[in-house]
Amino acid sequence: MLEIKDLHAGVDGNEIVNGVTLSINKGEIHAIMGPNGSGKSTLAKVLSGHPAYEITAGKITFEGKDLLELDAEQRSIAGIFMGFQYPVEVPGVNNAEFLRMAHNARRVSAGEEEIDPLDFDELLSEKMKMLGMEKKYKERNLKDGFSGGEKKKNEILQMAILQPRLSILDETDSGLDIDALRIVSEGVNKLRSESNALILITHYQRLLDYIKPDFVHVLNKGKIIKSGDKSLALELESQGYDWVTSRN
Amino acid sequence: MSDTLAEPTEETAFLDLYKKFVEEKKPQSALRAIQEAALSRFETLGFPHSKHEMYTFVNTKNLSTTLFKTPSYSKELAEDNIASHIFPDCENSCLVFVNGVFNSSLSKLGAIEDSVKISSLLEKVDTDYVLSVLENENDVFACLANVFCEDTTVVEISDKTQVPVPIQALFISSGDTSAPIICSPKLIWKIGKLAELKVIEKSVGVRSGYFLNMTQDWRISEGAGVVLTQVQADPFDTWNFIKTRVHLKRDARFHSANASTGSVLVRHHFEGRLEEEGAELILNGVSVLGGRRLVHNFVRIHHEAPQCVSHQHFKNVVNDEGRSSFDGTVIVNQGAQLTNSNQLINNLMLSNKCHADNKPNLMIFADDVKCTHGATIGQIDDDQLFYLQTRGLSEKFAKELLTRGFAESIIQTIQFPEVVKELSSTLLKKLEVDNV
Repeated sequence: MLEIKDLHAGVDGNEIVNGVTLSINKGEIHAIMGPNGSGKSTLAKVLSGHPAYEITAGKITFEGKDLLELDAEQRSIAGIFMGFQYPVEVPGVNNAEFLRMAHNARRVSAGEEEIDPLDFDELLSEKMKMLGMEKKYKERNLKDGFSGGEKKKNEILQMAILQPRLSILDETDSGLDIDALRIVSEGVNKLRSESNALILITHYQRLLDYIKPDFVHVLNKGKIIKSGDKSLALELESQGYDWVTSRN
Repeated sequence: MSDTLAEPTEETAFLDLYKKFVEEKKPQSALRAIQEAALSRFETLGFPHSKHEMYTFVNTKNLSTTLFKTPSYSKELAEDNIASHIFPDCENSCLVFVNGVFNSSLSKLGAIEDSVKISSLLEKVDTDYVLSVLENENDVFACLANVFCEDTTVVEISDKTQVPVPIQALFISSGDTSAPIICSPKLIWKIGKLAELKVIEKSVGVRSGYFLNMTQDWRISEGAGVVLTQVQADPFDTWNFIKTRVHLKRDARFHSANASTGSVLVRHHFEGRLEEEGAELILNGVSVLGGRRLVHNFVRIHHEAPQCVSHQHFKNVVNDEGRSSFDGTVIVNQGAQLTNSNQLINNLMLSNKCHADNKPNLMIFADDVKCTHGATIGQIDDDQLFYLQTRGLSEKFAKELLTRGFAESIIQTIQFPEVVKELSSTLLKKLEVDNV
């Protein structure tokens, strides 16, 4: 599904991703862990098409398409979803209306008709129920005045509505209390299928207690220095990142 | 020895126009007294130059060089032509002013006959209040509005009256592209104790070529509440000046929202006086300015008593060569303890040639108050834009959505769904065509 080959990328002349190679197939969950400043969030932004980041070398293909040829909007339409570490607030834009616009953007590009507003409301209510979100979040402006946990839940709600083929969740667990973490994780697990894939970017192992990864990669200084199965995350938890970074 | 002629001054054109106005209209003595007092005050203050504190950000020069004429009744402004400007909730509660003069035959007052008393100041010959205000009037154009005013409409709401429907005041001008007309409506709103009233004011024109120079005084008694929405929708080649003076007694409330699309020059002058404890004043404003349109807000809020609240929030979307400016001061008098006041101006700049000037001020003479003020000037936020694009929205649409969202937060404070609907389809529609 996603092939990253020897990717080098940075911002303002500073190289932050320094030769990442990674292959992700349908149905797989990959966790990317690493110490602060290791390049995890930069990798997520590069994958989602942030214009501030420059790709200096390497290649990314998504379902056979050259991802670097697509802008952020086209990547979204192609089926890539980015769950932000710090979702931005957009005052004055109603949350439910925004979700319907995003849903319709995908339908229109697929040659389908826009969804009937009442049908969309039903779909939205169903997904909100799944995430234990109160109805009031429909009426509010996009994340304006949402708490940290509510913002993250809203990211997963968007994922549920957009049904992407590849989701990149950047530090989705940060700022969540244990109950919110459980609800968000259960939501993500319900959205899993054999036809989609997930990249979890996280600093801590605790998210992986709820969402079980097939592969765990350790990123350090912009490079994957170790890969393994979910037991690697447990080892990192008990021994710390020094355990791998000092040996590489 | 030769005769020397006096150099024509910037005031001359208006003085000459007044002579013609008196000859044509032959105002009755009570009105004449007001006009003469206003003219005298106008001459004392003088036509403002660009360094005048009150006009730092606005160029009034072309007002002094334009030869205006006084309006006559326009037959084309018949009922059919004004119907489209009246909001559905106000079909039977609408005051229509044609070229600045109240028109009783076009006004529809069926729904408010029992709760609102509408009269002419001249009927009552009650001019003392107007004359006392004129003695201290500091706004030259408010003086001019009184000079060319043909009558004053007094709207009275008695104590404890809740007006059942919103009242619309429609100011419609016929315009004249060969010689612009000067239209000077004047209103005094007297709101009784514990009364409640909602008002929508809208200014429109059939064509360009007019100077709408309006004054209105709100005298709001103890415990009364007013919600005022102002919609400025004049053609480009017009001037629109409104002086709104608000007097608030104990626990009285005045909540206002203003939406403007600008013109050659739109100037709103708000003067708020919180005279007794517990009074509350809210001023919100949104302007969407494309082309070479301009809106200037000049605000003076006087906290004269303790425990009063004033909030101001103005947002401007400025595109092309549009220009917004704001000059606002909150004055907290000695003794006005526990004042709570804030003032915020946000400008969203969409082009390289647009312009915004902001001058928020606080003058505090009490020692136990909570006051804030601030202004921002910025462009579309790159992080917000990227975020929306990652959800599949095109850059153009995302920019439009963010711009609408910026303005919407003020529009959403408007309590009339029909006004919100109209602004969404006219004011915000401009954003789509103004190459956002």
